[in-house]
Amino acid sequence: MLVGWNKKTLVGTIGYHNLSNHSIAPMLIEQIRALEWAANVEIEEMNWGPIAIVQWFESLKVPFERVVLFTATERPGRNIADMTIFRWGGGLPGDRMVQACVGDAATGVISPVSLLIIGEYFKIWPEEVYIADVEPGPERPGPELTPEVKQKVPDYFRILGEVCQDGYPCNHFLYGDKILES
Amino acid sequence: MCFKNLPIDFDDRGNAFLKENVANPYEYKVVELDKEQDKLKDLLAKNGFIKNVDYDPVTRVAGALAFHSVVDLQNKKILSTNSMATLFRGYEVILKGRDPRDAAYISSRACGVCGGVHATTAALAIEMALGIAPPPLGVAMRNILLAIEYLYDHPLHLFLLSGPDYSEELVRETNPELVEAAGKTASRFGHIHGYATILDIMKDLNPLKGKLYLEALSMTRVAREAYVAIGGKYPHPQSVVPGGLSVTVTISTLNEVYHHLIRFFDYGQKVTAIWDDIFDFFLEQNPAYSDCGVRPANMADTGVWDMPGVYDASYANCDKWGEARWSTPGVTVNGEVVTTNLQQLNVGLEEFVEHSYYEKWDGHRFKTDPLGNPLSPHHPWNKDTIPKPGKQSWRDRYSWDTAPTWDRLPMEAGAYSRLYVTSKAQKMPASRFLEATGYSMKMQVPAHKLPEAQLEWRVPSKWNAFERNRARAYCIPYSALVALENWLLAQQMIREGKTAVSTPFEIPKKGTFIGVGAWGAGRGFLTHHLVIENGVIGNYQIITPSTLNAAPRTPWGALGPYEEAVMNTPLLEQFSSFEKFQGIDILRAIRSFDPCMPCTTHIMDNNSTHVVTREVTTCACGLE
Repeated sequence: MLVGWNKKTLVGTIGYHNLSNHSIAPMLIEQIRALEWAANVEIEEMNWGPIAIVQWFESLKVPFERVVLFTATERPGRNIADMTIFRWGGGLPGDRMVQACVGDAATGVISPVSLLIIGEYFKIWPEEVYIADVEPGPERPGPELTPEVKQKVPDYFRILGEVCQDGYPCNHFLYGDKILES
Repeated sequence: MCFKNLPIDFDDRGNAFLKENVANPYEYKVVELDKEQDKLKDLLAKNGFIKNVDYDPVTRVAGALAFHSVVDLQNKKILSTNSMATLFRGYEVILKGRDPRDAAYISSRACGVCGGVHATTAALAIEMALGIAPPPLGVAMRNILLAIEYLYDHPLHLFLLSGPDYSEELVRETNPELVEAAGKTASRFGHIHGYATILDIMKDLNPLKGKLYLEALSMTRVAREAYVAIGGKYPHPQSVVPGGLSVTVTISTLNEVYHHLIRFFDYGQKVTAIWDDIFDFFLEQNPAYSDCGVRPANMADTGVWDMPGVYDASYANCDKWGEARWSTPGVTVNGEVVTTNLQQLNVGLEEFVEHSYYEKWDGHRFKTDPLGNPLSPHHPWNKDTIPKPGKQSWRDRYSWDTAPTWDRLPMEAGAYSRLYVTSKAQKMPASRFLEATGYSMKMQVPAHKLPEAQLEWRVPSKWNAFERNRARAYCIPYSALVALENWLLAQQMIREGKTAVSTPFEIPKKGTFIGVGAWGAGRGFLTHHLVIENGVIGNYQIITPSTLNAAPRTPWGALGPYEEAVMNTPLLEQFSSFEKFQGIDILRAIRSFDPCMPCTTHIMDNNSTHVVTREVTTCACGLE
């Protein structure tokens, strides 16, 4: 059973549709929603724009205490279907890069990097922000996951549940001033 | 006589016909670009102060626009320009063979900002093709929805995308003398916006930190909240359908919209005051700024906001219902209105692909429109989109954009065009809040927190980057007041029990039907030309504002609007060495058009792994 423990937690999915493994987050959101969660865990599709998400966070009467972003990003040194949990370490790139992220965001580009940076800039993130990041391999079209990723879906769900609990041990950090190179 | 270049004349009853004794009426001369390029190559080789200046991508617009120029940095002159749409859009290809009802939903994805206008334009095309007239409340609510979409779009451009070009931070880098002068210059409209000096305004235009920048972000939320009360969601509304809207509209819906709309009354006053102050300051400090982005006021606009009860969707009556719009359709040439007639606007359209990554198409299926007016083989109803990716060459093909023309003239489009044409044409319906005087638009803005005020946008004597943005600022109160006018009409209709918002229809399984949706995007002119064949889409052609604005050269060598505007731009930036040249004047000229941005979409064959393209430009538009 998956449970969120004490903290008000958001599990957000990010990614374009129809890009096979790159679309794992939007593809699995309904299954994630159907898992058993504690009452203080919310599942949200977060493709609807970092600016709107900032404004949503700012309007919350009870803020989230933990955010888990589920997405897929190509990163060197990983095998397809590997999932890494990163902890957001804060920090920002230069203003021009932030402005570029805002420009992308305001014009409809879906990007976990833009979301993290804009969220950091507008100080919406709680202390605990995790990025559950699947290695999708080279981009390819299609509405299906590849077999090696499909096989690991139960593991992803289990790990997402663990990240939502207190004290998840995480040794990988992402920093806003380095994220664009990582 | 609106046509000077196409061999089209009119009989006594106003019907168009091709002039006699013209052997090939749609012939044109193709000008080779080799000589020009050879000369530039020679100049570049011989003069160290002549440089290629490339922006790829042009930032704060989209990743899909690139711009090449050859610049004489010693004499501060621009010698050559090329505008490049770098991505393929492909909606024309995606839509072929589909149920026409899909067009509103699929074409909406052409833009991450202005999905609603594409959905509406698709709906209008189907309504015309199949003779579906929406009920008055459906028309009024559609007007409100799309006016609100502009209230998202204009602040976004003015403060997030274009605005930083006039901010203290950026101006200090390129023209520090202006920052110094701004600190000593009192604002004229401080009683409205609250800033004592021009420098105070410029500081709050600073990206990310400035209060005006942040306020614009929050106003986009206000607009979105009003929008979803009608559209269901943003940016791709779920409720826009051929025949009207698929949403129940009640007094509660209207109240919810009004609650957000009124905030734009004060905001409209403030934004126009801000930009009047900023632009007047630049132009007074250095009159040469009036040549930044200057070009003849050659504009095309489809008009927008139909009069409920007059709009009947028919091509036969489109001149009548077009001229009854709150934004008058039309064309200006050298600043003079040459037509406000939607049929003439349609008949004069052509698209050329000599400098674009497309094959030319054969055939001339529709020699006339449904009323017998002549149509060119290059008209969108006759066009076929045949992508032909290839090497980029300034001598040959360099853009995924086509070169659309009206009467063989490159035309520009923008929110400003609707203000320009409507003000000059004086055809708009009587309004409680708006008055077109022939030289200006007067806007009576109701009180909210600020007192009631009359604003007046005046047709400028010179059409340049500053005036494009100034007019765009005035489009905020203009759009808000049209929304209010329709809000009052909608209330009246509901009180009278006229609550229908859509007209049922069926797609005929047999036969050929054609229609054109003509409606304004936030950035102006937007047409969807549709051919329905035996129940499915046989052809679909989209011309967006940036298709017009970002166009490459015509076959006969005329520059596209960005290209022409930048060619005429003086370089007023201060730079101590060639390496430090940033090109702010070039960028101001380009951004003044509000080039549109990329969304991503995919063209995929479900039975294979073949991708035609991945990231596809959008509304921007621009891309074909």
